[in-house]
Amino acid sequence: MDWRKVWVVARHEFLISVRRAGFIIMTLIVPVIGIVALLVGAFFSGPALQAMEAFGQQFDVGDKPIGVVDGSGIFSPILPDYREDFILYASEDEAEAALRAEEISKIMIIDADYIETGRVVVVSLGSGFSAVAAADSETVRAFLVDHLLAGQVDPALQERAANPASVEPRVLSSSGETQGEGAWGFVFTFIVPYFLSIFLVTTVFVSSGYLLQSVAEEKESRVIEIVISSVRPMELMAGKVIGLGALGLVQVLVWILSAAGFSGGAVAFLAVAGAASIPARVLILGAVYYVLGYTLYAILMASVGALGATMRESQQLAGIFSMFAAVPYMLSGFLFANPNVIFARVLSYFPLTAPTMMMLRLPLAEVPWIDIVGSIVLLLLSIPAALWAGSKLFQVGLLIYGKRPTLKEIWLILRSG
Amino acid sequence: MVIQVQNLEKRYGDVVAVDDLSFEVERGEIFGLLGPNGAGKTTTIRIIMDILQPDAGSATVLGLPPSQAKAHAGYLPEERGLYRNLKVLDTLVYLAEMRGVPRHQARERAEALLARVQLQDWAKRKVRDLSQGMQQRLQFVASLVHDPEVLFLDEPFQGLDPVNTERLKRFVGELHAEGKTIVFSTHQMNMVEALCERILLIDHGRAVLYGPLAEIKHQHAPHAIRVRAAAIPPDLPGVAAVELDDGAFNLALAEGVAPQKVLRALLDRGVEIQAFEVAPVPLEDIFVAAVGGGEA
Repeated sequence: MDWRKVWVVARHEFLISVRRAGFIIMTLIVPVIGIVALLVGAFFSGPALQAMEAFGQQFDVGDKPIGVVDGSGIFSPILPDYREDFILYASEDEAEAALRAEEISKIMIIDADYIETGRVVVVSLGSGFSAVAAADSETVRAFLVDHLLAGQVDPALQERAANPASVEPRVLSSSGETQGEGAWGFVFTFIVPYFLSIFLVTTVFVSSGYLLQSVAEEKESRVIEIVISSVRPMELMAGKVIGLGALGLVQVLVWILSAAGFSGGAVAFLAVAGAASIPARVLILGAVYYVLGYTLYAILMASVGALGATMRESQQLAGIFSMFAAVPYMLSGFLFANPNVIFARVLSYFPLTAPTMMMLRLPLAEVPWIDIVGSIVLLLLSIPAALWAGSKLFQVGLLIYGKRPTLKEIWLILRSG
Repeated sequence: MVIQVQNLEKRYGDVVAVDDLSFEVERGEIFGLLGPNGAGKTTTIRIIMDILQPDAGSATVLGLPPSQAKAHAGYLPEERGLYRNLKVLDTLVYLAEMRGVPRHQARERAEALLARVQLQDWAKRKVRDLSQGMQQRLQFVASLVHDPEVLFLDEPFQGLDPVNTERLKRFVGELHAEGKTIVFSTHQMNMVEALCERILLIDHGRAVLYGPLAEIKHQHAPHAIRVRAAAIPPDLPGVAAVELDDGAFNLALAEGVAPQKVLRALLDRGVEIQAFEVAPVPLEDIFVAAVGGGEA
C-alpha cells in the first residue's frame, strides 16, 4: 500500500465532493434550522406561548365548559373554583339542548348511585374520542375529587388527592451517576443525544452514498481502467473511504459548531447545556460506532458501486444494505419504551444493523456491556471480511463493462484465489 | 530489453485467456500486438500494467515487476473515458499525481502536453464541454502525463476520424523519435504496416507469429510476381498459373523458379512491361491465414 497515492485519492475525493450542492445543502440545513428557530423564538415568543397553551387546552377539556347533570347531589352546587369550566343543568334535556346549541362541549351525567358504582355517562357531539379524553383529563379528575372530599378532609390533603404527583424523571445508572436532573435534563440526556445519533447515522449514509456514486461514476465513464493502472484497487478504495469519511466528519463538525455558535439566544443555551450533559460514555461509544459503521458501509458501498453497470443499477444494489440500516429506525418507537428489548439486542450484534441500533440505544438507556463489547468485536471482525470480499469484487467488478455479474459469477469471483 | 514476458498464463474460470505466452520488446521500437477479438491482447496488457494478476509466468518492464513499473509505463485503454465533471487541466494533474508525479511538476507537464495537442485554451473548461475529437486527444495525452518510457496503446485509432487518426499517427511518430518504446494493440493492419517494426500475433492466448514485420512478410510472401503489361505470352517457363487481377497479371511461379528468370523470359519475348514486382502480401492476408480465417 502506497500511502502517498492513498493521500492523493483521498484529497481529490474530498475536494470534489465538498463542492457538491447536495453536500452544501445538507451541511447548512442544521445551522439554518437553528437560525430560523432562534428568530421565531425571539420575535414570537409571547404569541407562540399563548398558542401552545390554547393548543394544550384543546386536549384537556376543550375551550367550552362541560355541562353537569348531577343525580347524586354531591356536585350541587359546583365549587367556586370550577364554575368557569363546569355548568350545572337540572335535567338531561336541558343539557342536551345546550350541547346542541354548542354552549358546552360535552355533558357529564352523574348517576344517583355514583358513590357505589362510579358511573359517569359522558355525552359529546361528534367523536367518542373527546368523551374518553375528558374522563382522563386532569381538570375533570380534580373536579370529581375536590367535590367528593370538600369539607371532609384537610384542605392540603384534598389538594394532594386531586393532584397526587408532580413527576420529575431521574434515572440512576449502574455506576451510580444520576442522569437528567429535572424535565430539561431529561431532554438533554436522552432526546438531544438521540437526535445527534440520528444525524450521525445520516452522515454515515450520505458519505458512503458519495462513495458509491464516485465509484460508479468512474466505472460508467470508463476512466477506471486508467485509474487502476495507476493505483492499486486497495489504494483507491482506501483513499476514497478516508477522503469521504473526512467529508462526513466536516459535516458533523459544522453541525456541532453551529449549534454551539448561537451563543446569543435560547437555542444556544439549550444546545450547549445539552452537549454538556451528554454522558461521556455515550459520546465516546457513539464515535466508535460512527467510525466502525462508516468503515463497514463505505467498503460495502465501494464494492457494490463497482458491480453495477450503471450508477442507477449500483444504487439499486446498494438499497439492500441501506434497508438493513433502516430497520432500527423503523423500530425506534419500541426502543423508546424499552431500549434493551430482546430484538434490539439481537440486531445490535448483527454487523449491518449494529451501528445504527447501538447509536439509537446508547442515549436511551444503560446498555449492557456485553452488548457493547459483542457488537464492537463482531463489527471489527466483519470489517476485514468485507474488505477481503469487497476488494475482490471491486477489482473484478470494475473491469466488467456493460453488464452486472450474476450471483453465480460473484460467488466464483469470491471463491477463486 | 524493455519488456520481457515469460510463459504468461491467465484463466477466467474454464476459459484460457493467455496461454504460455512469451515475447520481448526492445528499447525504442514500435511493437504491434495483434490478434482477433478475444485473443488475449487486452488481458496481456492488463497483466503488464498490474491491473490483473497472472496465474503463471511473469512480466517485467525495464526489469521491474508490474507493481513497480507503473510509474514508467503509460496506458491508453481500449475502453476509455475521463472524469466528465472535472476540468481538463485538473484531470491531467490528478492522473499524473496518481502515478507519483509531484503536483507542481504534474501541472507543468500537463500544460505542455495540452499545448502540444492544441487544447491549451480548454484547460479550465470541463471535460464534458469538449468535442469527441478533443476528448480523444485529451485521453491520449492523459497516458503520457507522467512522461513514461514505455507506452501501451490499446486500439488507439478506434473511433477516430481521419483527421485525428493522421494527427495521432504523427504524434506516435514523434514519440518514437524521442526514443519512447511503444506497444500497440490493434486489428487495423494498415496501421501496423505503417508504424510497426516488430509484431506479435496471438490467437486464443497463444503466440502465432512473432518477429520483425519485414521478415514475417517475406516468409509469407506467395511465390508469385505481379506484372503490368498488355498481355502475357502463354507457355512461359517456370510459370504455373496466370491470373488477371485489377489490370495486372499475377503469375504464380513453379517451385524453385527465381522471379528474375521469369522477368528475363518476358523481356526475351519482347513483352512491353509497365510494372514488375515480386507479389506483395498484405498483412491482412497473413493475419487471416494465421488465425484460421473464420474468426477474424
